[in-house]
Amino acid sequence: MQNPLARVRGQGSSGGGTQHWRSQRYSALILLLSAAWVLWLGVSLAGADYLTASGVMSSPINAGMAILMAGAVFYHTQLGLQVVIEDYVHIPALEFALLLFVRFACLVAFLISAIAALKLALGA
Amino acid sequence: MSTSKRPMSPYMLGPYYKFQITSVLSILNRLTGVFMSVVTAPLLLYWLIALASGEEAYAGLSLWLGSPLGKLVIAASVFSFSFHLFGGIRHLIWDAGWMMEMPQVRLSGWLAIIASVLLSLIVLGAGL
Repeated sequence: MQNPLARVRGQGSSGGGTQHWRSQRYSALILLLSAAWVLWLGVSLAGADYLTASGVMSSPINAGMAILMAGAVFYHTQLGLQVVIEDYVHIPALEFALLLFVRFACLVAFLISAIAALKLALGA
Repeated sequence: MSTSKRPMSPYMLGPYYKFQITSVLSILNRLTGVFMSVVTAPLLLYWLIALASGEEAYAGLSLWLGSPLGKLVIAASVFSFSFHLFGGIRHLIWDAGWMMEMPQVRLSGWLAIIASVLLSLIVLGAGL
């Protein structure tokens, strides 16, 4: 379906479009907007005991923010590490294995974060 | 392997290029990003797991975070976060097509350094 217009719109010799670049910026925007929340959380829970910390994380707002943040963090991490690997790892098999590992690790990390945050919020 | 014989663009570090605020901040944005990927994000994930696992796991992590190594990791994470935050804001401003002239790029670079040091000191000061 690639016609000259698609090429003009940025799908050049790389074969891909601007999807990666855009996704990196959109996730950055989410992280930028939630930076104040994570700074507040870090400062207010620094050195906090178990009851205080679990109490704060049981609030639906904080649980929701934690899940949103985890999604944006591990998505942005995957996109960023992907570029670093593509730039510096020039052994094709190793590059492929690392890219696969990073995707897998980031997905698992997000799932675990979401389940942990839900467990704290639901008090299970 | 044939790939190693291909011409490559000159490596930005080493004797070929003079160190400049543009190149130093560019590599620092990458380094802080990789550091947070490898250290800070796994630590935050482990904090959440420990908190969800119960009092004993959380107490163990708290003890480690209070140790000199734990404090060093926290300080490095806070600085990396601050620097990557302001470095990222610079990138988003450039993506909008603003501040692209060299004097403006150098100015925003210095502002990002000052802002990230200040934010790190404020956060670390408030958290201690």
